[in-house]
Formats: sequence, C-alpha cells, structure tokens
Amino acid sequence: MAHEEALKDYEERRRRALAMGGEAKLAKRKATGVLNARERIDLLLDDDSFLESGLFGTSVMPGDADNTPGDGKLAGFGRLDGRDIAVVSNDFTVKGASSSATNMKKIGHVKRVATERGMPLVMFGESSGARMPDNMGARGMGTMLGNDPQQYVRLRESPWVSAILGQCYGSSAWYACLSDFVVMRRGAVMAVASPVLASLAIGQTVDSEELGGTKLHSEVTGLVDLVTDTDEEAIAAIRRFLSYLPGHANEAPPRASVPDGSDDDGDGVLAALPESRNRVYDVRKILRSVLDRDSFMELKPLFGKPGVIGLGRLDGRAVGIIANNPMGKAGALDVAASEKITRFIVMCDSFNLPLLMFVDTPGFVIGIEGERQKAPGKIMNFMTALQMATVPKLSVLMRKSYGQAYLNMGGGRNSDDIAAWPTAEVSFMDPAYAARVVTWGRDDAEERARIEDEMRRSSSAYDIASIYAVQAVIRPQETRRYLKRMLEIHELRPTRGVGQHRMRNWPSTY
Amino acid sequence: MARHEVNADITGMVFKIEAEAGATLAEGDMVMILESMKMEIPVEAPVAGRLTEILVKEGDAVAEGQTLAVIEN
Repeated sequence: MAHEEALKDYEERRRRALAMGGEAKLAKRKATGVLNARERIDLLLDDDSFLESGLFGTSVMPGDADNTPGDGKLAGFGRLDGRDIAVVSNDFTVKGASSSATNMKKIGHVKRVATERGMPLVMFGESSGARMPDNMGARGMGTMLGNDPQQYVRLRESPWVSAILGQCYGSSAWYACLSDFVVMRRGAVMAVASPVLASLAIGQTVDSEELGGTKLHSEVTGLVDLVTDTDEEAIAAIRRFLSYLPGHANEAPPRASVPDGSDDDGDGVLAALPESRNRVYDVRKILRSVLDRDSFMELKPLFGKPGVIGLGRLDGRAVGIIANNPMGKAGALDVAASEKITRFIVMCDSFNLPLLMFVDTPGFVIGIEGERQKAPGKIMNFMTALQMATVPKLSVLMRKSYGQAYLNMGGGRNSDDIAAWPTAEVSFMDPAYAARVVTWGRDDAEERARIEDEMRRSSSAYDIASIYAVQAVIRPQETRRYLKRMLEIHELRPTRGVGQHRMRNWPSTY
Repeated sequence: MARHEVNADITGMVFKIEAEAGATLAEGDMVMILESMKMEIPVEAPVAGRLTEILVKEGDAVAEGQTLAVIEN
C-alpha cells in the first residue's frame, strides 16, 4: 500500500473513532446541557495535552466493531496545571458506556500506569453497567469479569477522583466508592443497579433520584463529597481538589502562593465566637478567617454536620481541616460525622496533608439513635485512624472539649501540639451534668450549685496548661500566626514531608 | 402548594418558640430554639413560606428527626 493510501485510511479510521456514537446522539445530548465524553476530557486537561490510549479499541463481539468507536470508554493521559494525570471518560453515546472486554482492558491499563508511575487518576462516571449480552452466560462472565485480581484493590499510591455525571451503575459506582474525592452533578444517579432492575427483581417501584440521587448521597450516605449543578462546575471542582494533593503518596503536596490579605482577618475569629458558652455559631467563619483567603474547600457539607471537614491552605501549605461545628447538633459528634472524619483522616494521612483540628464539642451524641448505628465502633475507627496518622497533627481548643471526644479531637498526645484559647473548657462531661451525677439521690440544690461551680472553675484553659496537657494558651486572633509557625516546626524534614501511610489499605467507606 | 417539614436535628427539649403560626418566613429565619447537650440550638426555616403548623410547645421533649413545624409555599 502506498504511504498516501495508508495515511488516508488512517485519517478515515481516526475520524470514525472520534465521532463517538454519531452526530444525532451527540446533538440530543448537547440539547440537555450535558457535556460529552471528549468535551469533559478537554475541559479537565491543560490545552492540547491529551494523549489518548485505545482510540482504535472496539468491541470484540462479532458484528459490533463498526458501532463501538473507542468501545464506549475513553482513556489516556494528560496534564493538569502542568502535572501528569490519567483519565477515564465514559462515552454514554456508545452502548451506554457499558463495560466490555476491550474497554475494561483500557481502564485497567491507565489505572495501572497511574498507580505504578504515581499520578492522579480521574474517572468521569456515566455507565449503564455490564454490557449485554456480552457478559451473559458462564462463558461471558468468565471472559469479561474476574481476570484482574487487583481490580478493586486500593492502596492509595496516587489520588483517585470520580465524577458521577449521569447514571452510574456497576463499575462507575464501584470506582467512585474507592475514590478520594467524589463529585456528583445534580440529576445524576449512583446505585448498585438501575430502577428498571429494582422493579424487575424485587418489584420495587422507585424513581432514580430516590434510589441514588444527589440528595441521598450528599445527605444520607455521605458517599459524595460535593454536588454541582453542571458538568462544568464538577470538572472545576476536580481541578480544585487535585490542586491541594500531591501527584502520588511519596511526595509532599504542592505549595501555593499566599493570596494578599490572608493575614488580615485575625479579628474575624473573635467576632465569630459568641461570648455565651451556650450559644452556637458557624465554625466555618472561623476557619475562613484563619486559612489563606478563599482557600477553604469544604467536603461533604450536608452529611454529618457536627463535623466539618475540608481542604485548605495555610501560608500556602495544603492542610486537612477537621472542626466541630456547634451549628450542627451543638457540635456533638454523631455516627455520620465520625464516619466522615475517619475517611478524611485516612485520605489526608495517605497523601501527606497535615491535619488541623478545631475543637468545640460537648462530646459524642448519646442515646438510642447512635447506638443502633454502632456508635462505639465508629468512635473507635475514628480514634484508631487519628492515632495511626503520621502526618503532623495540630489542634486548637476553642471552647468545649469533653469526654472521649477530647481524645478523638486530638486531646493529650493525640496531637503533636495543642493550643487552647482562653475560652477553652476541658473536662470529662459538662459540669451541669456531672454535678447531678455526683449528687444523685440528694435533693440539695445549693450543694449541687456549689459543686457545679467548682467543677466549672477547674475546667479552664489555664488548668490544662498548668499540667502541660496543652502546650500554649493563645489569643484567638493570633491563631493563624501560631498555626503557620507550628506547621513549619512540625514539618516532616527527614522524609521531605512524606508520612508512613499506615492506613493506605484501609477501606474507603465505613 | 408544597409542604415542607421542619425536623429536629437532635434529641432534646423545646427551649423557646420564636415564630408564630401563620407567619411568613424567609429561608433561614428562626422557627424555634431547642436545648440539648446544654446548648441552645436554633431551628431555622429550611425554605421560605408560610409557617402553617407548629406541632410542639415549649418544654416538650423531642426526638431526632421529629417534625416540629410545617411550612407551605
């Protein structure tokens, strides 16, 4: 064949592969305001940086090669803010991006390269599940599934990010649950199986929003970190999330420049804190005043509200934030908050993000509701995670720190350094309850008031500082300055900012 | 007309009712204050609308998830 002819044939084949599921399907999709698989990749990556892997892959089934360009799942490598990353993008216009022999090999390959060579992996999920009839029968199952014994192993070698951007049943859902960050576009669905199957198999009539919509995953399951209205916002959130993380577990997170004005809001900290100890407030105001300007990215804001988690920067250094929020259940940590914080500690520790804890909690939620959800087990997962973490851990005792929650929120040797504000109070339980416990059965209001008063006076920041169980008492306004310096002091110099990752193989959901 | 339930976030006691039945509320307006774990916890309107029912009174014990009031819009 003449070179000219071979190249013409190449261009024609390339054109067909890039055409995805065809103009009609792409146009219909565009009309709904949803991006297609290639647009998503282009928006994520730096301009012209996509190097595709498997452009000429197609279905192995007889007769299907011509109608399966790319085999429904696109894969490859590119750059994001100049750093190498791997990407998988489900092309729903080709057989509903269902999983098949060829496209599973494509995913397996880029996933392996990302993991072994140390770069983040981004997955745009939108898949109807396993391809039918390819997967049917014992031979179908044996051919398609189970050939990669490491397929669902997560050792957190590099960050994984998933976007739920359409219906996600099967592998798109599984990979999302294994990811470090999950963003979901409103209207998308993540579930084990589709509503159609739910209706066929168990006779349950359920709409997809109820089965696996954004409300369910952002408020009830906590499987999703962030909800957006559009694909574009979801992709912007991925870019932002990855800006805090290193490319892989064996390097420190990237350092950013510090926005002007970041040091100016010390008084904002004091203004956000009520003078009455019984009043609630929104801890996020305090976090925003302490962190570099506009750097706080809250995760799972609607799930486990007594615990706030998120990424931020302090003096340009990426950090993980864990805070109690009195606005949610008075800051009393419930099962959802415990799960959320546990998962976050594992993520931060695996990717060398120092942990900053902001403490104001009356304790763990007590009562039947929590016990039915295995509260003691969840509290211990959380506690173990904190003690296993080898990244720098710093905590600020803002107000209340009671009981077991004192330890879970970094009390004692569970932080590398602790500063208390003058407003801090530390004890085993709120003195109002403790006084009733120790005077139980005696109806002497005067005695009870006296005991409560004594207990309250011995719970102060200065009491705990006097026995060096906190290392400093600081003015709230100087919290930022203190933490900036402490982060420098506790830098992991011998390992260039890399921790031991003792939870790299921990589960990704609890 | 959509009916929105205002639910208790936490088990506790109704400390103070701040809004009157029939009042028109903006999203985030205070409906009542619960007391739990020795803290005063505001219950805010999840949506804007008319507060058609208040189902509890001051001093009542309430459970997590219990409906405290109803807003219609």
